[in-house]
Amino acid sequence: MARFHPLEVTDIRKETRDAVVVTLKPREEDRAAFAFTQGQYLTFRREFDGDELRRSYSICTGLDEGCLKVGIKRVDGGAFSTWANEELKVGEVLDAMPPQGRFFTALEPDKARHYLGFAGGSGITPVLSIIKTVLSREPRSSFTLVYANRQVGSIMFREELEDLKNLHLGRFSVIHVLETEGQEIDLFSGRIDAGKLETLFRLWIDAESVDTAFICGPEPMMLTIAESLRSHGLTDRQIKFELFASSQPGRAKKRAVSEKSAAAGNSCEVSVTLDGATRTFRMPKDGTAILDAAIGNDIDAPYSCKSGVCSTCRARVLEGEVEMEINHALEDYEVRAGYVLSCQCIPLSDKVVLSYDE
Amino acid sequence: MTSDATGSMPIGDYLARGGKLTSPENVPPRYRGELLRLMSSFVDSELAGSAGFADAINLAPGIRERIAASRITLEKADHAERVLDLMEDFGTDKALYNKAHDWAARVSRDTSVDPKRQGGDMRLSVFHYPLTGWTDAVVMNVLMGLATLFALEELSHCSYQPFADVLGDILPRERRHMELGLEGLERIAAREDGRAEARASIAYWMPRVALTFGPARSARFERLREMGLRHTDNETMRRAWRAEAEARLGALNLG
Repeated sequence: MARFHPLEVTDIRKETRDAVVVTLKPREEDRAAFAFTQGQYLTFRREFDGDELRRSYSICTGLDEGCLKVGIKRVDGGAFSTWANEELKVGEVLDAMPPQGRFFTALEPDKARHYLGFAGGSGITPVLSIIKTVLSREPRSSFTLVYANRQVGSIMFREELEDLKNLHLGRFSVIHVLETEGQEIDLFSGRIDAGKLETLFRLWIDAESVDTAFICGPEPMMLTIAESLRSHGLTDRQIKFELFASSQPGRAKKRAVSEKSAAAGNSCEVSVTLDGATRTFRMPKDGTAILDAAIGNDIDAPYSCKSGVCSTCRARVLEGEVEMEINHALEDYEVRAGYVLSCQCIPLSDKVVLSYDE
Repeated sequence: MTSDATGSMPIGDYLARGGKLTSPENVPPRYRGELLRLMSSFVDSELAGSAGFADAINLAPGIRERIAASRITLEKADHAERVLDLMEDFGTDKALYNKAHDWAARVSRDTSVDPKRQGGDMRLSVFHYPLTGWTDAVVMNVLMGLATLFALEELSHCSYQPFADVLGDILPRERRHMELGLEGLERIAAREDGRAEARASIAYWMPRVALTFGPARSARFERLREMGLRHTDNETMRRAWRAEAEARLGALNLG
């Protein structure tokens, strides 16, 4: 089961007007857990006004840099990204799950490969990690990056990419595509579309020489690029996608509980089994979900979305009667087998026995 | 990967246009349910197939056959683990998963198993039937092996890229399992009594393997197709499998 570990913020660098690069240090005992593969991401959690938010950001460092950094671009209305850009301080501690994700291909130091990367905006973060790793770990391979941004000022890692180009002359090249600022060549202005890709493949990039293409950016851009790559002979297996995490649904606020029912002393005895250990506690029958009561009793129950959709909090009711308020995740057969989403699970009987282990 | 990005396109449109999903973080709930179902059906079938074939090792008539059966038993368990590793990303507890069911359990040979899922595990119905001997194991391995190739080829284009990639890696090894079966069947079919025995097993397994492709008209297939998880309908796949199976058996004088 994935667990959260504390990471100390050791540096915060303002990358652009609305993006920061945060350097993180795991505790000595967590170092192995945070050994990452290029292109992976970290999931963070933090409380905002009593509600826990979980957000994922890609690691932007290469394997040989000896440190862990993530790039966080501020998004309008995004609580976590705004906080990270405006309030986060060096020395603070962030809770994060160990690195996850499969946006990479296996490194083979003796191979001479040609990689092609397409990044849109903050989609550069995992691609940068891959670029730096490939350049240092596969000395005979080369990387071509096509990088789309709105304007010069919003280009993340602009200087770092320049440095990489100079350091690895002939092995790394960048083609910037800017939406709103005209460049010397028309090809490099505007959005990446089918026509622009056609020209790119005719004049600048030999599609046949490409072994693997990495794409990370907004959905329409990824589709257009994938389509073009396929029409130039690349197979599905040669095209690696990394999609942004879908925005999480809004959290249900705590339900209003009538004082009467709370005062009725109507309570339930709940036994919860987690990782082989069983704990028993009493909870009010006032509409509180069993998951919340378990967390309130210091049980580290698994959960994620808390809105009945992700099924991370799935548990099995072994005894007693419960009611599930919302269920978007469990199939009928799972429900018949006694599975519940514990975040949506309200006790009806006076005793409930529930297990996360089954 | 970054959260907070406002989706500029509904995920359904993205999938319909051939977009790929890449991690549990960007998989919508219904998609997740169907994907986990597909993955657990694969894992359970591989585990049940491996458990069933383990017994065939001791039925093997020679050392080559013994090695082939051992290899199939080993590699099918390995294939199950590779996909189980992907499910782990979704919160599946790998250790508990393996212990959840008796993968070697079989019903009696003449029971009629509903092709819909039975009990707690998601193995394909064909893996609920027991093998009766070496020839029977070889025939089952050839017919189901061919069906597996069609299924894996189909799913290796699915819209969940990590699953598609793993199946792409598994496909050549599953093809080898089927070929090992064909080599065994060729030796069996060289003898008159072997051919008679093989024909009886073919008659038994052919209709049961055919059912694993699912109903000809399937609302679930349509749902999966919209999600980019499936592309070719059940009946088309079943027909292609049958044609290939008949051609292979015909070549061995078992048609």
